Amino acid sequence: MLLALLISNSVGNILVERYHGVPAEERLHWRSFLVKLGADNLRGAKNEELLVASHKSVYIVYTVLGDVSVYVVGKDEYDELALAEVIFVITSTIKDVCGKPPTERLFLDKYGRICLCLDEIVWTGILENTDKDRIKRLIRLKPPTEFS
Amino acid sequence: MADSTGMTLMDLITADPTPALASSSASAAPTPGPSSAPPTALGKPATEKKSKRATLMQIHNDTVSVAKAALNPVRTNIMPQKQKKKPVSYSQLARSIHELAATSDQKSSQKQLVHHVFPKLAVYNSVDPSLAPSLLMLNQQCEDRSVLRYVYYYLARILSDTGAQGLGTGGGIPTPNWDALADIDAVGGVTRADVVPRIVEQLTAEASSVDAEFHARRLQALKALTYAPSSNSGMLSRLYEIVFGILDKVADGTQKRKKGVFGAKGGDKEFVIRSNLQYAALSALRRLPLDPGNPAFLHRAIQGVSFADPVAVRHALEILSELATRDTYAVAMALGKLAQPGGALQDVLHLHDVLARVSLAKLCHTIARARALDERPDIKSQFNSVLYQLLLDPSEKVCFEAILCVLGKYDNTERTEERAAGWYRLTREILKLPEAPSVSSKEKDKSQKTRRPQPLIKLVMRRLESSFRSFSRPVLHAASRVVQEMGKSRAAAFALGLQDIDEGVHVNTFADTVDSHDSDTNGNSHPENTRKPSSLSNGTGGKDTVAGLLASLMEVVRTTVACECVYVRAMVIKALIWMQSPHDSFDELESIIASELSDPAWPATLLNDILLTLHARFKATPDMAVTLLEIARVFATKVPGKIDADVLQLLWKTCLVGAGPDGKHTALEAVTIVLDLPPPQPGSMLGLTSVDSVSASDPKSALALQRLVQAAVWFLGENANYAASEYAWESATPPGTALMMLDADKMVAAASSRNPTLAGALTRLQRCAFSGSWEIRIIAAQALTTMAIRSGEPFRLQIYEFLHTLAQGGLQSQFSEMHLSNGEDQGASGTGLGVLISPMIKVLDEMYRAQDDLIKEIRNHDNTKKEWTDEELKKLYETHEKLLDLVSMFCYVPRTKYLPLGPISAKLIDIYRTRHNISASAGFNDPAVATGISDLIYESKPAATEPDTLDDDLVNAWAANLGDDDLLGNNAPAMNRVNEFLAGVGADAPDVEEENIISRPSVSYDDMWAKTLLETSELEEDDARSSGTSSPESTGSVESSISSHFGGMSYPSLFSSRPNTYGASQTTERSTASRFSNPSTGGASMYEGIGSPIREEPSSYAFESFENPLAGRGSQSFGSREEERRSSGNPKFGTALYDFTAGGDDELNLTAGEEVEIEDEVDGWFYVKKKRPGRDGKMAGLVPVLYVNQS
Repeated sequence: MLLALLISNSVGNILVERYHGVPAEERLHWRSFLVKLGADNLRGAKNEELLVASHKSVYIVYTVLGDVSVYVVGKDEYDELALAEVIFVITSTIKDVCGKPPTERLFLDKYGRICLCLDEIVWTGILENTDKDRIKRLIRLKPPTEFS
Repeated sequence: MADSTGMTLMDLITADPTPALASSSASAAPTPGPSSAPPTALGKPATEKKSKRATLMQIHNDTVSVAKAALNPVRTNIMPQKQKKKPVSYSQLARSIHELAATSDQKSSQKQLVHHVFPKLAVYNSVDPSLAPSLLMLNQQCEDRSVLRYVYYYLARILSDTGAQGLGTGGGIPTPNWDALADIDAVGGVTRADVVPRIVEQLTAEASSVDAEFHARRLQALKALTYAPSSNSGMLSRLYEIVFGILDKVADGTQKRKKGVFGAKGGDKEFVIRSNLQYAALSALRRLPLDPGNPAFLHRAIQGVSFADPVAVRHALEILSELATRDTYAVAMALGKLAQPGGALQDVLHLHDVLARVSLAKLCHTIARARALDERPDIKSQFNSVLYQLLLDPSEKVCFEAILCVLGKYDNTERTEERAAGWYRLTREILKLPEAPSVSSKEKDKSQKTRRPQPLIKLVMRRLESSFRSFSRPVLHAASRVVQEMGKSRAAAFALGLQDIDEGVHVNTFADTVDSHDSDTNGNSHPENTRKPSSLSNGTGGKDTVAGLLASLMEVVRTTVACECVYVRAMVIKALIWMQSPHDSFDELESIIASELSDPAWPATLLNDILLTLHARFKATPDMAVTLLEIARVFATKVPGKIDADVLQLLWKTCLVGAGPDGKHTALEAVTIVLDLPPPQPGSMLGLTSVDSVSASDPKSALALQRLVQAAVWFLGENANYAASEYAWESATPPGTALMMLDADKMVAAASSRNPTLAGALTRLQRCAFSGSWEIRIIAAQALTTMAIRSGEPFRLQIYEFLHTLAQGGLQSQFSEMHLSNGEDQGASGTGLGVLISPMIKVLDEMYRAQDDLIKEIRNHDNTKKEWTDEELKKLYETHEKLLDLVSMFCYVPRTKYLPLGPISAKLIDIYRTRHNISASAGFNDPAVATGISDLIYESKPAATEPDTLDDDLVNAWAANLGDDDLLGNNAPAMNRVNEFLAGVGADAPDVEEENIISRPSVSYDDMWAKTLLETSELEEDDARSSGTSSPESTGSVESSISSHFGGMSYPSLFSSRPNTYGASQTTERSTASRFSNPSTGGASMYEGIGSPIREEPSSYAFESFENPLAGRGSQSFGSREEERRSSGNPKFGTALYDFTAGGDDELNLTAGEEVEIEDEVDGWFYVKKKRPGRDGKMAGLVPVLYVNQS
């Protein structure tokens, strides 16, 4: 289960958050934990360098992409490697939408589109589409596989 | 409109691109640095009670303006807003949608929607239902795909909202006027209940449409429908209907998968549309609850494996692997020939979807291990072979999953046997690739090379080693985790004593047999390949033994400790702990851990996690108790501030109980050195000074260390008798012998020769009582009393004499050169324990005096050849009972067996009991009797009549509170954590250990604790059972017999809260107990706990006469400064060092520099008199010793 997906800017303000299976009262907690984790470790990290953390049986993989930090939290089948897959899809899609590792401005300009992409990538706590082109088609309401 | 923090994101979004960026982010984070400022509360549940009236007004205005707008030609107000750089409010957005929906056929409004309105609406965490009509209208009328995609997105969000705001899956700014709209039907508001059926209706119609051109929308409609909460059964059945309806049409028919259709292009139109619909249907099916008994469900999932769409295949496999755990047989049968070589499952091996292959691994594992399929080894082996092939997968994720499956780690419920079998498989089995007709023709050479059978262990080791060279932290973390699981399986294999686990055996010996077999059957085998391993196997000490492979792997694992990431390092350490075998030297591990712990970057949660790993490791291999305790000691001394004393104590206790009768001594030794209690020789003071340097460096950790030492001392006192198997009620030594050994040296000699364990513990405690800090001294004295009461002679006498010395004041403390205590002044005179100790001494006094009297009486009776009269017996019995009551105040003793008057009284008391029909347990006012516990305990088990050895063990274990369920129950926080950890469950949010993190919302973490506490009772049972099986011959028998005899009862135990009747006679012991059972009590209240009962009611023990035959001797031999001081009557003077504010009526305010006359010292407090009354008018009172400098 993908428990949470969080995107924050460089100073720790949350830009996007999606939770699944996390009780409302725990979300705030997760948010501050993740932001703190990022503040402690992401300084000086390279773009798309994956960082990892775990808490009990919950795994966290996070990275920095341009001006934004991306965090994904998962458990059970979504262990650190599966999360690495997820975060790879997310970062490559964001790069695709923005054309490059986004600045905060660029990210916000493409906010709606990014939300739609995330909607195609993570669907009720389960990773759905992983293929960039397929996602691009789906957010334009085209079928996943097109006929020639 | 929205709260100020919520504006942030909207601010940012609507801000003017370049110049506004800096200012807006500055306003977003007024105090820079996220650790100091709480992150923005975007998704915070909108509980701020804005005035409802204002909200309603706003809604009203909005509606009015919408109405106005509807009359006028459409002119949206978004653009001007943006140019004014003012954030757009939700209501403005909502209005724009209403307006633009009406003119959705115009290009400009579509553009506005796509580029301005919808993206900004996404910022909010929910969409209120009043937008639904407009959205539905757009859905029906608009042609623009981008608009429609957004419409589906928002419809899904409306559906997914469960009604309570903020509970939707998406975060964001709380939607402002939701509450008002949901609550009140005022001003024509639309409620969720109104719109949801309409949305569902429309989406259902779209999802069922058969128009081929429409099918992309069909997909999205179906997707949006799955967001509806699954609690709605009507909704569910409708969804099932749609999904199966689609599958009925598209799933059947020839399922030829062609190369190239995975990509974007290719395939004929009909095929592609069908494949897309298959994908949508299976994706939706995956989101629906499993329906295990339904053959249609299974059938469709099976069909899904052969679908062309890779995501559909993944979902099908995920569904199947979940179904397989419920009904393995059905799934295996249904999969049938798909698993055969060339079947669809083989194709999945080459599918470019990592998660699909992961699910395949799980599915294969479940089927290959199923008991239900024992009759069909052929099926099992098919799936097994697929699983083994996944070990070669290029993706680490898949390969690791396969390794874990082979190891028997599937979910959190695996059993030891399965784990052991997993290790066996890994070390023994061979990967043989089957003939793969689909690929063989093209890449014949290559496939033949890889087709050579390989031992699994070699494959796995090679793979892991290469993974450890990766730079990716997730890979390192995962690889360490796999090694950890490997260690678990290995430990399980050793624990079960699997017959032929000889790690020195050459792995290729197994391979050889298969190899030769292969070369017989396959004509074209490669002779050099088969010869190579056999020639290697002749070499001595080659690398190819299991042990050799493991050693080289562990070498790589160890180097990974250098990783920057603390989480990876933690995982590596856990892996090392699990791979540590009981017989190897653990120096290396210890030094790794020690050097790791000096790194301040380690968060406390991780360290405690590792401690719990030690606990789990111990449970798997009880032999390792001492090793693990040594490691725990490193934790305790290096990072006392980060260790939970509860977790540590739990570890000690489990180790002590689990170590078995032979290991108890070593285990206790290990506990006592855990905290480097001051060692005897100055030569070995190194450990101590290093501890001191830690505590000196950081007052917080010094305090924590203090607490740990206290815990250890208390533990020692409580459990020494258990470890030493020395109990007064089993003592063979007649009391007379003890009284004769009045020479202290002789006594010590006798004691240590009789029971070195107890003597050792005694010495340690005595040292603590002298040289520890104030709190430790108190606990040491209490521990000694416990031991005195529980032990037979000569220990009791030894302690008795020691306590006397202690009470008189510690000349010895001056001579012992132990002044380097843990950062605390010893106090100028004495040990300061006099008041505290006197009740303890009185108990022992009473006991000895009564024993003396008894012996006198017996002699009298013997001399005069008189029978004991009933009156005399009654008196004796009353004394016996009285003493028992007294003793019970200090520590637990078994009432039936304990003889405060010495073994000699046994016969007489028995006579009286039988004569008067008093059952042994039914003392006059036994608290246990009062609470009814004794009935359960004693009557079900008349201890006196069954003197078998088991019974002794039982009583002993019980007396020491070991292994009783009660402990598990009451020590719950730590235990809970252990269980949770072992079970690997729990997704609760992590603790954020910074103080300046935002305060928590109304639900506190404690509440959540309480919740988990209630829920994990089942886990605890499991745990108890598993600890029973971990050491079958020792603990198993004791524990299980305890639980069978006394199952589920609460014993009087220091860990547990006492029966209420004890409350009346609250003792210092009691406060100690409660302190240790309550981890949250801080230092200050600990002090209160000890101080207050003593100060306020020092006479709670009604001992009037204090005569002691030994007292004179004791004070002569040791002397007492305090005594001298008091008797000489010289007043002492001092000056106040600091300001002191009185904390109670009997305390005195001090101003620094003030001169006082010291009248008396009690327990670290001076009773002082001032020369003139202070501002509060008080002249005299108590002040802490440390505040006064004696002149």
